[in-house]
Amino acid sequence: MTTTETAVSVVVGFVVLALFLALVTGALGASYFLFLFGLAGMYALLSLGLNSQWGFGGLINFSVAAFFGIGAYGAALMTAGNSPIAGGFNPIFGLIVGLVVAALVAVAIGIPTLRLRADYLAIATLGLAEVIRLFLRNERQWTNGSAGIRGIPSFFEGWPVLGTLPQTMPSLEVVIVPGSPILLGTQFWRQLLNVSLLLAFLGATFFVLRRAQQSPWGRVLRTIRSDEDLAKALGKNTFAFKMQTFVLGSMIMALAGVFYAHLNLFVNPGDLDPITTFYVWVAVILGGSGSNRGALLGGFVVVAIREGSRFVNDFAWFPIDGAPLRLLLIGLLIVLVMRYRPQGVLPPQRELIWPSAIEGSGTPERPTSGVREQKGSDEAGRNGGDNDE
Amino acid sequence: MSEQPESTTATTERSEATDSENDDPGPAAGDDNPGSAAGNDDPVPTATPQVGAVEGKEDVVLRVDDLQKSFGGLTATDHATFEVERGTITGLIGPNGAGKSTLFNLISGFYEPDGGTVTVNGTDVTGMEPYEIAEHGLIRTFQTPRKLEGMTVREAMLVGPRNQPGESFLTLFTSPGTVAESESANLADAERILEEFEIDHLATQPATDISGGQMKLVELARAMLAQPEVLLLDEPVAGVNPTLAKKLKSQIRRLHEQGTTFVLIEHDMEFVMDLADPIIVLDQGSVLTEGTPDGVRSDDRVIDAYLGGGA
Repeated sequence: MTTTETAVSVVVGFVVLALFLALVTGALGASYFLFLFGLAGMYALLSLGLNSQWGFGGLINFSVAAFFGIGAYGAALMTAGNSPIAGGFNPIFGLIVGLVVAALVAVAIGIPTLRLRADYLAIATLGLAEVIRLFLRNERQWTNGSAGIRGIPSFFEGWPVLGTLPQTMPSLEVVIVPGSPILLGTQFWRQLLNVSLLLAFLGATFFVLRRAQQSPWGRVLRTIRSDEDLAKALGKNTFAFKMQTFVLGSMIMALAGVFYAHLNLFVNPGDLDPITTFYVWVAVILGGSGSNRGALLGGFVVVAIREGSRFVNDFAWFPIDGAPLRLLLIGLLIVLVMRYRPQGVLPPQRELIWPSAIEGSGTPERPTSGVREQKGSDEAGRNGGDNDE
Repeated sequence: MSEQPESTTATTERSEATDSENDDPGPAAGDDNPGSAAGNDDPVPTATPQVGAVEGKEDVVLRVDDLQKSFGGLTATDHATFEVERGTITGLIGPNGAGKSTLFNLISGFYEPDGGTVTVNGTDVTGMEPYEIAEHGLIRTFQTPRKLEGMTVREAMLVGPRNQPGESFLTLFTSPGTVAESESANLADAERILEEFEIDHLATQPATDISGGQMKLVELARAMLAQPEVLLLDEPVAGVNPTLAKKLKSQIRRLHEQGTTFVLIEHDMEFVMDLADPIIVLDQGSVLTEGTPDGVRSDDRVIDAYLGGGA
């Protein structure tokens, strides 16, 4: 475990260093860098959402893109200037609408399917993803159809100080490497605000999920994931637990969508393409199903591949185009992870008990080695004999 | 190391024993060797009266009345009727395909009966969801326990306690203190029970790494954390090595002495006959006969059913 963590930290360290070098030498614009960071965080958020469904409760959700889209369109339709419904609301209102609609859709799809085996939810969500996408594409009077919605304000627009911060901040020129100054203009400040918004969303989500995962609530879900009948036999209302985590995950995905709308300032039905769902699944499996840290890592890796592969087009000698290379790399990555590390790069901890409960208990926290087990089973044999003969 | 539970639960057992005609020194239940008590044949007054007789004052914890279930044309449960009294170990036997597991699934709510009723502790639970029936105190185990992935043994144990405050998502954030408190208490309980089961050395092992027999012990221990009114064990020693089977038997006996009511399905005749009293024999979905181990053993109909004679 710890060696993996070290390895992951080293790799992440290198990537950060490389990005920093690209930044100071002017190869990468500062605001584009922050945009990328926002995108990565958005994928991390989506992964966390899917992780709380698939990783915690074993729910197979193939409509990640749809819930993402509900969040994005909810925010866009409520706030954009040219919204066909009711634009111009405060972004906070858009956020709430996005989350509430996502929750309602999750409940609606959950009621008929969550009592059944996991496969049925998978099939239903596969259909739901298409229904939502086609609805947004075709119901022009409500959604502008394939033209999408433009003129979405930034999330902080209209806020006392933050709303005008990008314009009021001075344009700076930072020179670290002589000859390649870094421009910190309005764009940069705007993206910086976006990133802080993202960090707030991500931080809150991570906190909620971490607590949920370590709780008896999360434990019941893990039991359901392994053996739903067992959970039922022990008096757990498995339907309610599955519904709760399904709604929770869907709202987190919608949160990512809300952020995306205010990051990109433009949404269209193409944002709901099934490939997004696929990327998020890759991220969760890569990171380690059930692991929040893994979902974060997976989200960042997927964006690194997605965006990183764009740069190969800059090298004329490279024989493969960026877009197919991206899919090739993702496919290769999934095969390698499945073959050599099926539990994911950062699998969840082996034991998840409410932290303060363990401190009070007498037994050592660290799982013991196999040596003790051997001794134990001998002992078991002896005792069994004593009692019965 | 604590012996708390014995004091509270042993009393029910004792009062029940005094209900029988005289203070018989050897009540079959809980005795080390029930064979000796029942060896004198039927008329011996045992702690557990003949089932089937209408007994008003006995405390019936589970009543199955005229239960029916068929799958397509196959009748799996055919007007099954019996009662389980508090403090007994009731054995449910029958040849393969007699409908024992179906009956368990009907009682615990995993199947919905076509007719008849199931009453747990005086409440009609027919048609309820399995978790609701469990909330009424009927806890069951499964023939082949699936191992809980990514959990340690003690973590798997902690799924047992019913209605934990930390199982409500909102409570996690509104009063984390309550959650921590109950979690500490449950963890202490889990460790105490693991100790009583002499498997505390497994506490921090991954639940996927322990043997099938150990898993059965853990299952039983976990079921006790759910504080069952009646505990249904589905083949507790199937596929378990003889040493662990003995250990399971002594644990079941110990818990029985502390007042837990058991119903068990088991193919290992020696195991059932040694442990259970009364024994209910199922054949082709209905109750063939019921009685003491010896009574059942010498019943011709039972022998016919097992040997596939033209019953």
